[in-house]
Amino acid sequence: MSSVIEVQNLTKRYRETTALDDVSFSIEQDAIYGLLGRNGAGKTTAMSILTAQNFATSGQVRVFGQAPFENPAVLSRMCFVRESQKYPDDATGRHALRMARLFFPRWDEDLAQDLVEEFELPVKRRIKKLSRGQLSAVGVIIGLASRAEVTFFDEPYLGLDAVARQLFYDRLLQDYAAHPRTVVLSSHLIDEVAPLLERVLVIDRGRILLDEDTDALRGRASAVVGSSAAVEDFVAGREVIHTERLGRVTSATVLGGLSEQDRQRLREADLDVAPVSLQQLVVRLARRAEDSAPKHQELVP
Amino acid sequence: MNRTLSVVRLQLVNTQTFVWVPLLVLGGAFLVTMTIFALLPVEGIVGGGAQAPMWYFLVVGVQSLTLTFPFSQALSVTRREFYLGTVLTALLASAALAVTYVLGGLLEEATGGFGTGSVFFQVPGVWSDGWAVAGLVYLVLSFAFFKVGFFCAVVYKRFGTLVLTAGLIVLALLVLVALWAITRAEAWGQVAAWVADAGVLGLTLWSLPVLALLALASYGLLRRALP
Repeated sequence: MSSVIEVQNLTKRYRETTALDDVSFSIEQDAIYGLLGRNGAGKTTAMSILTAQNFATSGQVRVFGQAPFENPAVLSRMCFVRESQKYPDDATGRHALRMARLFFPRWDEDLAQDLVEEFELPVKRRIKKLSRGQLSAVGVIIGLASRAEVTFFDEPYLGLDAVARQLFYDRLLQDYAAHPRTVVLSSHLIDEVAPLLERVLVIDRGRILLDEDTDALRGRASAVVGSSAAVEDFVAGREVIHTERLGRVTSATVLGGLSEQDRQRLREADLDVAPVSLQQLVVRLARRAEDSAPKHQELVP
Repeated sequence: MNRTLSVVRLQLVNTQTFVWVPLLVLGGAFLVTMTIFALLPVEGIVGGGAQAPMWYFLVVGVQSLTLTFPFSQALSVTRREFYLGTVLTALLASAALAVTYVLGGLLEEATGGFGTGSVFFQVPGVWSDGWAVAGLVYLVLSFAFFKVGFFCAVVYKRFGTLVLTAGLIVLALLVLVALWAITRAEAWGQVAAWVADAGVLGLTLWSLPVLALLALASYGLLRRALP
């Protein structure tokens, strides 16, 4: 795999805050990335700079090997509809889609129309009269139908109900399978998007805390489930990041891989190993990564 | 297709902004003026209603930036493509308006002020050098209104309300100083002579370098604007 985006020592300072602090990462071709972090962590700023909508204070960004600013050859291969996207005055959903079609070389009109029906978007209604969920749907439809080689989704689920959110995740995976491309999905609802992600970038207060394959990340912890006494016995001396109890059954998530010896012990104690919550893992790893930092709230509630 | 031309289509997808509202404004002003002309027992009145769509172009200039620019960024349009496409759209719309004015003026002449004996389109001065010059004046004037709106919007976008307001106040003060200086130098006679000498065509041509400067400044500011 080759990388489509290279970011080196990227810093973005606003008057009082540092939105991105000397960040470096790369994004590989044809993969789904999760750009995860709390509100205000710098997710939208990063995506804005990658798409030349915003400017870096210092550092370097390369997309398809070139600088994206004022570069139509690069920009036309990217799509970034922001969460708080503004639309032309009096434009309807239909207008917005017609406009989008003009600029994305791989735009699929049939897909756009299918999505309009599935999301039940009232395309004749003015965008400023749409509900938050319908507004999100406009962004999602443009993002999916653009088939841009690098597509950014900025908290695309805001205001969407559970059914519509699932619809988005399903259609994203379906279309991604048929037309592989690079997708960057920014989110603070980690567990909900976790099944989609091949790789996660966790950003907190302008810094990259984690940049890892989702599977490798999951392998860094395991949930041990069984009778409370046996679980407590097993996890003694290990780092437990999350515990849940239901009656006499306990599920404890422990950090660190399991050795063959561990597995043997688990079988003997009649304990099961279950998949871990990526959210818990990310929160705890993020905390550990900044041991010296002052206490702050959870990454997500 | 050329992406700059696509920006023209982007601006024109919603025909309301550039086509229907200006027509409505002009048509409305025309109807109101004609009604007043018909009600008044005198002839030979010169109405000022024909300028109405030009003021609307000021608003279009503002909106094409504040509302369409952010969306164009989401569609991966470069600032340069957006700027050129938008200017081209404004030129097209101004040309269409100019043609409407000239046709209206000729029709007015042929029908004796649409039967009222008064003037809506053929404003004296503008039409003194014939319909072609009048058309040019309308074209440049409409475009200038658009450009001023666009420029103010870019300044607002880059620096905020405070700087825009301060800038407008400074501009007003400069104009006052100029007026004071002319009065002080007792040069109003010369100014009037120069204006008369330049004529409507001359004045229009003199405005072109100013417009070009405004256009360059808008582009320079837009290049670093955030959506």
